[in-house]
This record gives sequence, C-alpha cells and structure tokens, in this order.
Amino acid sequence: MKGIFTMWKNTRMIILTAVCAAIYSAALLAFKTAIPLIPGITEVRVGNIFPMPFGLMFGPAGAWGSAIGNLIGDIFGGTLTPSSLAGFVGNFLLGYLPYTLWTNLVPFHHKTFRWEAGAWLNWVAYFIIAFISSTACAVVISIFVDFMGVVPYKVLVKIITLNNTLGSFIGVILLTSVFKLVKDHLQLYWGDVMEEADQGKPIAGPLGAWLVTIASLFGLFGGLLADFQVGILGWISTAAILIGSFLL
Amino acid sequence: MNIFLYLDENTLIHRLDPRTKLVSAVILFGICLCFNHPLYLAFISGGVVLTALWARALPNFWRLRYILLLLILFSFVLWPFFVPGPTRWWAWGPFQVSRESVLYGLAMGLRLATFVGIGLIFLSTTRNEELTNGLIRMGVPYPLAFALSTALRLVPTFAGAGATIIQAQVSRGLDLESGSIFKRMGKFIPQAVPLFIYAIHHTNTLAMALESKGFDPQAKRTFYYEPRMQRVDYWVIGFFILLLTALLYLRLGMGLGVVIRGRL
Repeated sequence: MKGIFTMWKNTRMIILTAVCAAIYSAALLAFKTAIPLIPGITEVRVGNIFPMPFGLMFGPAGAWGSAIGNLIGDIFGGTLTPSSLAGFVGNFLLGYLPYTLWTNLVPFHHKTFRWEAGAWLNWVAYFIIAFISSTACAVVISIFVDFMGVVPYKVLVKIITLNNTLGSFIGVILLTSVFKLVKDHLQLYWGDVMEEADQGKPIAGPLGAWLVTIASLFGLFGGLLADFQVGILGWISTAAILIGSFLL
Repeated sequence: MNIFLYLDENTLIHRLDPRTKLVSAVILFGICLCFNHPLYLAFISGGVVLTALWARALPNFWRLRYILLLLILFSFVLWPFFVPGPTRWWAWGPFQVSRESVLYGLAMGLRLATFVGIGLIFLSTTRNEELTNGLIRMGVPYPLAFALSTALRLVPTFAGAGATIIQAQVSRGLDLESGSIFKRMGKFIPQAVPLFIYAIHHTNTLAMALESKGFDPQAKRTFYYEPRMQRVDYWVIGFFILLLTALLYLRLGMGLGVVIRGRL
C-alpha cells in the first residue's frame, strides 16, 4: 500500500502513470464501439486488455494510470458523471490488485513478479488474479452506480466482470509480448524503478488477499446463494474489498 | 482526429473560474439526486438544456444525441424489473412491473441523461489546462495533476496512432467484424502491441527531458495561468448552494418528488 503514495516522488513513475493513462484512454477511444454489447450503453471494452499487464509491470503507476485513463476516457467520451468517481476507484483496483495479489494470494503467490511464459504456475496465478481483480472492480463500480440509480447492480456487476475478465485474459498475450522489452531493454519494471524502501511491505498480505477474493466472489455470486438485498450484498462486499486492498 | 469537446465561445459560463465550474457541476450532480419522480427530474433536465443553450454547448449534445436517447431508453426499460412498487401492472414469475417502477425507470433515464448533460456543459466550456489548474487549486497534489495533464496531452497522439495502426492492418486484410467476441477481441492484440511499444518508448525520453530541466515533483511551483475568483463566481456558487438547499428541503422536509421511497 505504501508504494501507491511514495511513487509520486519518482519522476519515472509519474511519467509511467501518465503514459499508462494515455495508452488506456486512447485504446478506449480508438477501439470504442468496435464490439457493442448494448449499442450506446456498453461495449466489449477492448482497452481492458491493458490494466492487468500495466499493474503487473508498472505496479503503482499501472494502478494510477488505469484509474486516470478511465477518467480521461470519460472526459473525451463526454460521459463525465458521478459514476466516473466509481470508475476511478474501480479501475484503480483493476491495476492495483494484480501486482499485490501476485505476491500475497497464498497458495498461488510468487516471491516476486517475473513473467515466464513457459511456467504453467504463472498462467494459473494470472487467470485466477485476473478474475478476482475484475470482479472486485465490478462490485465497487456497480454498487455505487446502482446507489445513484444509474444501472441496476445485478445487471452491471455481471457485464463489468465479463468485460474486465475477458480483457484481462487476452491481456496475457500483450504481457507475454512486451514483458522482456519492458524489464530488460527499457528497464521500466516498477520493482527496478522504485527504491526498495519506497515500495513498502503489506500490513497483512495473505489476509488482505483472501478478504478481497472472498468479498469479490460474494459480491458477484452472493445473490444466487441466498436472497440478499442488493444494498447489503454490494456495500458489505465493497467495504471488505477496500479493507482487504488496504492490507495488501 | 479531433477528440476534444471544448467549444471556443465567449459566454459567461466559459469565463467562469474552473473551480466555480467544478463545484457547480458537483452541486448540480447532487441536485439530480434529490428526486426520483420523472416530473421533477424533467424540470431539472430542462434547466440543464437551457444552460447548455446559454453556454452554446448544444453542438456537443447533438454529437452525443444517440447516446443520450439510448441512456433514457435503457433505464426506462431496465429499472421497472428491479424496483418493486405497490401498484402492480404486470407480473411473470419473479418479474413484476408496477406504475411506480415505470415512473422510477423514466426518472432514472432522465437523471442519467442529465448527468451526462452536466458533464458535457462542463467539458464544452472548460479547457484541459483549466481543469488541471482548477484541480491543483482545489488541493489535488501537483504530481497527480501533472500526470493527468500529461496524459490528456498524450491521448490525441496515441489515439491517432491507434487509429492509424487499425487502418493499416485492415487495409492488409485484417477482418475485425467477424467471429465470436473472444476471437474479435483477440484480433485487437496485433493493434495493441505496436500501440503499447510506440507509447512506452516516450517514457524514458520524457523522464530525461523533465529531469534535465530540474523537475522536482515535491517542489513548490508557480504558474503562468493564474485564474482569480471574481464576484460572479461567488454568486454562481451561492446560487447553486441555495438551490440545492431548497430542493433538499422539498425532498426531505416536505417529502415531494418521490415515487419509490428508500431510494435516491
């Protein structure tokens, strides 16, 4: 958690944040309406292939970049509304959770992040984390949007989860293609860019990771297990996701 | 490609301080949340359209007309199935539609379109530099605002590059229109990788350029653009605060403008 604040001291991390945000929002704009789900309302967001690789490669800069990129997508798309605030938090988590869960989600965790396409355990961890972070993002956005009467929670949480998961799964191809270039050639892997003291250590990593995981699944599937009220389901899950993220 | 929504006009709204426009937009968002009756929201929507007319922002409303109409239609169709009301009109299994839920759906459609309208007026009358300057003056840390403004400046370049890459691949025979969602999304990877590499190469160059000019994220800074709050800015903010207070009283004190209780 400390790294998301201390990164603002580092010029390279600030530029990485801006570049990530610009790539993400440019992709959201350039590929908008490419694959519409409900014309005018929502589409398969091709740009969603970026946040997960951004988070894994650029750490805190990827998280902030995803959040700012989504906000800029709203600014250029003409859809700057109170939901943009929820979009900011949700997309922040979409970039933040991948690199924090990667080292904390026992038993799928790794000591550090190094993408090796030949290691099958990497793929397992990637797909599990992609689904969890996508769901966490969807739960946080959907409950806020439902609260304001924009779109019902039960509909939106599924659409966003599907969209994010699909994007993150396909994003693995991007990660595989560019990881070596980023780490070895450009030397922009966040663990190499930031001082070790600034990166920080999790307060209670595995606990936070599992809290986020359980809360995300509860937010998505809780309505199927028992007749929970949308408000209770969504807000409890959101609170647990935010507390879990704080512990990471 | 022109992706900016700012319209260069000389209206009172354009001349307001960016902080005034930010605060007013937030208060207006709050005003939209005061009622869930379509009649009350229609009045608010009408007010926003008049403001757009005043700000000469209607070209952007026209540009997004289909989205605005679809938002109203989408909410109107969807919400009635998710909010139960006492006057039942139709029921089938777990689904039921009531008079109140239909009215609520219409109100939410109007609210959503009004949200977008307020954002559009703000974006039509505020330059990106004014937006970031306003955020800094409202307490957003400089490095964060700097990242936002740098990203805003880079987006048109990267979006243009993205569009060129797509056109180049399509002209070589890449078919983006057919196949399942998975297949179609997978076809965007050949576009995404060159876009990413093109963009990420900027990072080191930009960082070096900034460091060579002595950039320090923590340093206290001065600005060329120094907007000052005028009397009219305080009047505008005061007016919206009064309006919000009056409307809150109508909703909370007199219970007006509600079709579904317990929801915003």
